[in-house]
Amino acid sequence: MALTVILCALFVNGMIARMAIRDKAGMAFDAWGLIGGLEVALDVDVLVGAYPDRDGPPGTPASVQAMLAEHRIRAGAVASLRAALFDMRSSNDATLALTATGEEAAAGEGAAVGGQAEGAPVGFVPVGVVDLRDPVGAGREMDRLAAAGVRAVRLFPDEQGVEAGFPSVRHVARQAARLEMAVLTGGDVRRFWQPFAGLDVSVVFLDTHFYHLGDFLVAAADEPGFHTSTRLLNSPDALETVAAELGAERLLYGSRTPHYEPLVPLLRLATSGLKADQVAAVAGGNARRLLG
Amino acid sequence: MIIDVHAHWGPWFFTMDVAGTTLATMDRYGIDRAVVSSTEAVIYDAPAGNRALATALGGQSDGLERLFGYVTVNPRRLREADRDLREYLPTGRFVGVKIHTDYTGSPVTSPQLRDALELVASAGCPALVHTWGASVLDLAQVCLDTPGLRVIAGHMGADGFRYAIEAARACDRLYLEPCWSHAPAGRIAEVAANVDARQLLFGTDSTLIDPSSAFGAVAAANLTGETAERVAWRNAAELFGLAAT
Repeated sequence: MALTVILCALFVNGMIARMAIRDKAGMAFDAWGLIGGLEVALDVDVLVGAYPDRDGPPGTPASVQAMLAEHRIRAGAVASLRAALFDMRSSNDATLALTATGEEAAAGEGAAVGGQAEGAPVGFVPVGVVDLRDPVGAGREMDRLAAAGVRAVRLFPDEQGVEAGFPSVRHVARQAARLEMAVLTGGDVRRFWQPFAGLDVSVVFLDTHFYHLGDFLVAAADEPGFHTSTRLLNSPDALETVAAELGAERLLYGSRTPHYEPLVPLLRLATSGLKADQVAAVAGGNARRLLG
Repeated sequence: MIIDVHAHWGPWFFTMDVAGTTLATMDRYGIDRAVVSSTEAVIYDAPAGNRALATALGGQSDGLERLFGYVTVNPRRLREADRDLREYLPTGRFVGVKIHTDYTGSPVTSPQLRDALELVASAGCPALVHTWGASVLDLAQVCLDTPGLRVIAGHMGADGFRYAIEAARACDRLYLEPCWSHAPAGRIAEVAANVDARQLLFGTDSTLIDPSSAFGAVAAANLTGETAERVAWRNAAELFGLAAT
């Protein structure tokens, strides 16, 4: 929308400048105008459930699907907060049931997950959750999930009060390498890179903040399996720097729907300096490669 | 029209190369005008950074006329601050004061911060003050205690945005500016629903944070009509004495 701005500044010694602003049109904050036709084929960071210790959305599956659809996110790698905070086994079963339902719904519409037509249901790709406070149980749960065809597990170290140096993290990392499961992990990347180093395991760091981008870059240079979510890489050149230093195949769109605004990383990706094929990879191609 | 009341000019110490991208970053999001502070002034040496910014803003080429400056004040160096205010505010290229509480070791509750804000009030311009968590409530109290002070709560408390609502409702000379690298769902909408629209501003923290963060978060709130216009530019124009036609 056209905007007309008239700036009149008088720079006279000792005088305050006068600036006249005229706004002929009123459409500010038109995010979708900037996003254009960008769609996300697979969002790597989606949750169902609520945080009991904070205000926020209830995270019912239906509301999560609606929020994803509203933002043209066609599928989400979904994990359960109930599994992270209370009981992993029964909650992972609920996630599997949820994704089975989603696949059936998608099949009923005649569209594959990740490639739906406009208005088709949002698909869920199941991500198992293991509790790092119970490393023995976590190992068993990963065996069970792998046997069920689950390709990835998600870790919640901050929510579970687990530090990167705890034996449980290294145990789960080794288990993931053995089972060839991808790991999606929260936590400070400056610490949580270490338990995954040297294992040839695929890891997506979900909380990489652009303040810590340099640490991610130097760690990931030696670890081809290290990837990062784009959610907090919202400095003016973070996405472009990762693409230049490591390759755009290391970047995955992640929103943390419904607890974060999916519009923000969507807008950042849409306005990035990445090429069209790189944007498509970040918006789902890379996630498909890791999660199936 | 969009006016960004929280922007920066200069390099950062993180792994980023954005020193020359202020205007390009604004253009990416249709931001017409920005009030900027010198990064050197904020992080390390206020007089040196203010001087460099004044030199840059003194020229009227390369699009820099779209920028207005904050005189950055270190509350621990008020003699220097007073000198800088007297030198730069009359040029018309500087329209307010920036104070970062963390880099200067001057929390909102500190005596030197109170003294600095009294100096700002006497200068007659608004101040942008970094706030986080519950400190925005302390800023409201300082504002109430300082006649004539108009203050912008930078980041509107970040994760303490509910404190920012309380602060803005307690003091009508306190304005809220939303930038943050995190974007919890519903944060802007909740603030807009509970605060007088005349106290809401738009800011990005660019070039530290890409404007997509604040722009996207505000867009997600679906503000309309007068509220959207006030947030986008009208309140900023009024606060900084920029004549709107």
